Amino acid sequence: MNLLVPFLTGLTAGGLNCLAVQGGLLAGTLAYQLEQDMQTQSSKQMFRPRLAQPIFLFLAAKLVAYTLIGFLAGALGSIVMLTPMMRAVLMVAIGIFMLGNGLRMLKVHPIFRYFVIEPPASLTRYIRRKSKNGTSLVTPIFMGALTVLLPCGISQSMIALALATGNPFQGAAILFAFTLGTTPVFFAVSYFATRLGATMEKYFTRLVAITIIVLAFVSINSGLNLAGSPYSFNNLLMRIGVGSVDEQKTIPPTSSVPGSYVITVKDDGYFPKVLHLAANKPVQLDWVTNDVHSCILSVVIPALNYQKILPNTGKVAFNIPAQAKGTVIRYSCSMGMYTGQWVFDLE
Amino acid sequence: MKKIFQVSDMECPNCAMHLESLEDTLPGIKRITASYKKQVMEVEFDETKISVEQIIKAANSLGYHPVITLN
Repeated sequence: MNLLVPFLTGLTAGGLNCLAVQGGLLAGTLAYQLEQDMQTQSSKQMFRPRLAQPIFLFLAAKLVAYTLIGFLAGALGSIVMLTPMMRAVLMVAIGIFMLGNGLRMLKVHPIFRYFVIEPPASLTRYIRRKSKNGTSLVTPIFMGALTVLLPCGISQSMIALALATGNPFQGAAILFAFTLGTTPVFFAVSYFATRLGATMEKYFTRLVAITIIVLAFVSINSGLNLAGSPYSFNNLLMRIGVGSVDEQKTIPPTSSVPGSYVITVKDDGYFPKVLHLAANKPVQLDWVTNDVHSCILSVVIPALNYQKILPNTGKVAFNIPAQAKGTVIRYSCSMGMYTGQWVFDLE
Repeated sequence: MKKIFQVSDMECPNCAMHLESLEDTLPGIKRITASYKKQVMEVEFDETKISVEQIIKAANSLGYHPVITLN
């Protein structure tokens, strides 16, 4: 997972979207401090040094809390995703949730309002009242941590993404990057007490909606790949022959074992992507890696119920039982990002 | 007294929270529960202290335009 995407999502419209939902907590937390400043300085003074500390504490607590949520979501994902098929279903479901959220933000249809999770009124009431009471430094920390109970639509999508990784550390990294990205907007708006214009806000909302829709399609596509579906974007492209598909029909005997074939695993894919093999005969394949460091090392072949984590450098043999002529076996990495297929159509 | 208002200009869950915050500022309001999904705001209030018109005016000041429903 490229952490730049969640970071930029947070930095752009994510910050504004979350500020809209959680800004009240920060404003409430700072109300007392602002009142004090008003009494001692001109209200028009731009720099408010006394405000920096509670804002910083609020945002730091928010960052820690969301990173923890990402960790827990990733951990939960690793428990839930016991099989590649369950993981594939989850990825598709998360993609649909994100797609609904993106379409909601673009106001395509009122039905998409049901894709956002609204916190119960009793919870928002409690938080709102709590935010108006405190004056100590503990309050901004407490309120910052409480923002996890009021996740904005984009935060919810990022939590869903963390869940899909099935890895607590990747989940934590995604939420950390996203929340860190939202921090400048929170800080700037609170510190300088200014607001971005409505037009700018609208522009950012559309930008993030489109980003979320793209991420949704990526998630759905990865889920389909992981399930070995012929209808994923990658597999459809291979079927219609669009793009440069590395296809191999005549396989040189690269292994010492007669009749065996090699799949070269690189950081950017499996090669050849389409391999034509003999039907009705057992085949031996060798996965060959050489200094490879990515999710591609985790291979999933749903049709054969095969899951294997390959070494960074090395060779792993794999025996495929005889397959009927015309059988197509699709495989992918465990994230559903890189794909390949074997077509059993040779005599 | 309890009244339900249709608020068609809520654009995100924050709008619901924003409207609910009126219960902290308006006298005579017992409880406000707003739903972004349903686009409604349910207000429990003491009619001797605040009128429906005053509630609508307060919501207008936040940028929302509630319309009282028949229920």
